[in-house]
Amino acid sequence: MRATWISVGIILFAACKPSDKAPPPPPPPPSPPASDHVVVHAQVVDIIPRRLSGETWQDAEPFLSLYASNPNFLAASAFTPNPGGAASGTAPIFVSSNGGTTWSLRNTIPSEVMTADITHAVGRNPRELYAGIMRQPGYPLNELSTPDFLSFVTMTQLSMRNDIDQPFVRAIKSGNAERLYVGLNDFAAPSGRTATVDLSMNGGATFASRRIETRNTVGQNAPSIRPAVAEDGTVYVAYLGWRSAAGSVIQSDVVVARDDHGASGANPFKDLVDPSDHLPGRLVARNVTITWSNAPTLGQERIGSTLSLAVDGLHSDNVYVAWGDRVGNGDIWTVHVRRSTDRGATWSNDVRTLTNATAPSLAVSTNGTVGLLYQQLTGSGSTSRWVTHLDQSRDGFATHQDIILATVPAMTPAFQFLPYLGDYNFLLTRGNKFLGIFSANNTPDSANFPQGVVYQRRVDFATHRLLDRSGAPVAVSIDPFFFSADVLP
Amino acid sequence: MSTRPLMVWIVLAVLGSPAPAPAQLTREAMVRKSDIIFVGTVTRVGAVAAPDLPASPLTVVVRVDQVLEKPDAVGLVEGDTITVQSVRQGSLKDGMRATFYTTGWIFGDGVAVREVGHEPARAQLAAAMQQDSVARARQKVNDANLRQRIQAASVVAVGRVEEVRPAKLAAAAGHPARISEHDPEWQEAIIQVEEGFKGAQSGQRVVVRFPGSHDVAYVSTPRFAVGQEGTFLLQKDSASGSPLTMMAGQSVPAYTALHQLDVLPKQEGARVRGLMRSP
Repeated sequence: MRATWISVGIILFAACKPSDKAPPPPPPPPSPPASDHVVVHAQVVDIIPRRLSGETWQDAEPFLSLYASNPNFLAASAFTPNPGGAASGTAPIFVSSNGGTTWSLRNTIPSEVMTADITHAVGRNPRELYAGIMRQPGYPLNELSTPDFLSFVTMTQLSMRNDIDQPFVRAIKSGNAERLYVGLNDFAAPSGRTATVDLSMNGGATFASRRIETRNTVGQNAPSIRPAVAEDGTVYVAYLGWRSAAGSVIQSDVVVARDDHGASGANPFKDLVDPSDHLPGRLVARNVTITWSNAPTLGQERIGSTLSLAVDGLHSDNVYVAWGDRVGNGDIWTVHVRRSTDRGATWSNDVRTLTNATAPSLAVSTNGTVGLLYQQLTGSGSTSRWVTHLDQSRDGFATHQDIILATVPAMTPAFQFLPYLGDYNFLLTRGNKFLGIFSANNTPDSANFPQGVVYQRRVDFATHRLLDRSGAPVAVSIDPFFFSADVLP
Repeated sequence: MSTRPLMVWIVLAVLGSPAPAPAQLTREAMVRKSDIIFVGTVTRVGAVAAPDLPASPLTVVVRVDQVLEKPDAVGLVEGDTITVQSVRQGSLKDGMRATFYTTGWIFGDGVAVREVGHEPARAQLAAAMQQDSVARARQKVNDANLRQRIQAASVVAVGRVEEVRPAKLAAAAGHPARISEHDPEWQEAIIQVEEGFKGAQSGQRVVVRFPGSHDVAYVSTPRFAVGQEGTFLLQKDSASGSPLTMMAGQSVPAYTALHQLDVLPKQEGARVRGLMRSP
């Protein structure tokens, strides 16, 4: 496997004061010397199984779950249909029992053919899996569980309700209990404060919906509500506070709330107050411009609600947030990353600013190294490309090291639906690895995958062709790609 | 006392005892529930064909002799071995040749399917005849599905799309307009009826609402374009929250066609008319 890395530009860490009253964040740790670059090795695997070599679907918006109990166990999902077709009563998930080397697809999600959104997280038992989906037809929220993600039994519905958007599931063990945090946009919330976290302190036996937004909105929050949980029970949640709108242009705050006790109290997420108005929810950025476009806008991708949050699991003071907006300097969409080292009390300025990028996903390794997965559109027109990056930093992005996982044509194949690649990707960490998943054009061309790539489905690298089981050519489509990369030591 | 031994005993008892034979499904009923149909020969009982599957008394390994129906994406050819989870323990015996009606279950390096039912295959029956018998059953199933859609429709007509316009929906009380990537972004197509089979007459114009959104939630929902001709099965709009619309200054019912069978090619009109006449 060819391992490459792209040399880094040193960005001065400009600590800033989001509020006049806020103390400045502590200085970043000293940067390593310029020669201290480590070659990052990564493996990329197209997870479409061999026996589905003929598939041509747009397998967008991937998600990943890891089992701490067994490094060989992984679960993944995407907008992948049940191969059985339109009459299917279930949707699939991908599973791996060998660390992501090979994957199979199992039809165990109770949704007709496919879901309209799906995220998941592992439970405390060795094979337990929780999922939040928007179920077909009608796309109500379904919160689901299974005691064994490898089993062939359809997942059990824990709760269901209508009028929500984009469930985002996180879970953590607390004593003997399993705590679930499902960020979602709940249109039934009063007063247009729709940012919500469904909480379960008992492994999904019961849920309570907690409203996170504390300020007035334009009538709703953005779809993306992102919880992140640390080992000590600190729970952060990020959301976009939409304050005003003119047509499809929305002025928004980027907000992070926090609960120091696992959100187990009656009135959670009130532990982080903004000094400007003394309301819960720290304003990380104010009055950013969101251009809502549910049409191909960034290449063939839509834009409008881009958000990621990660906490250092072992040191809950350290937290990162990434969001997308339009800066207005000729960009279509720009991803910003900021950092707090004091439990969200103060935030840096942008530690990464990525023009025409989307789908950021952040994770913090046990050694404090932060990883940033994102996809960036480069070039224009027929020569444009989607470039998938994994960026790592040991010093809060004062310096960083970037590898390219994929660089693929952006205008082929033509979109079948939106999102083209996904409103989100996902990055996780375990031990000395970052593990993640992204979707991309699946042309079997080694030049498109600088770290190398392994296909399970039948391909011919020499001719850059996908083949079905009989050897006939198959059209290029969007596939989910799992990857594993070394964490910078 | 731990309940585990008792649970294990119960599971083994359930797995180990032959279940009562289910009522034999008709071929049409089996086809209706199946997406992978093949002729095969049982080569091992209580076994699996791929290492990532657990063997059980219900699983058998089958050599595929002839593929009769499968989704395009699925790689399955004559000579493959496939794992079948049988409906009933003991119903599939070593060496038995049968037509297997199944649904896809697991796709990896191998394929595993769940049995819907099976028919003993007559060795002398030519491959083409096997294919034909399943194809005829599939046609009956498709006709029955279409007949259901016809019966549920308020309007059945052949026509042509004259105009497409954004829908102006009255906001439902207590539900302000939402911004969501799953917003259907309702559009309206005005269809000039050329031949009405049900609920409309030739020359009449009807308004059909459809999602204009490209969101994944509507990837399989029919869309309309100006000039499009077709056979349309229309239901009164119960999806948008606003059952009426305006046309030529008058309030008229709005219809939807949200199922793939609701929009057919124009030449399917004769088939639709035939199904409406047949019992």
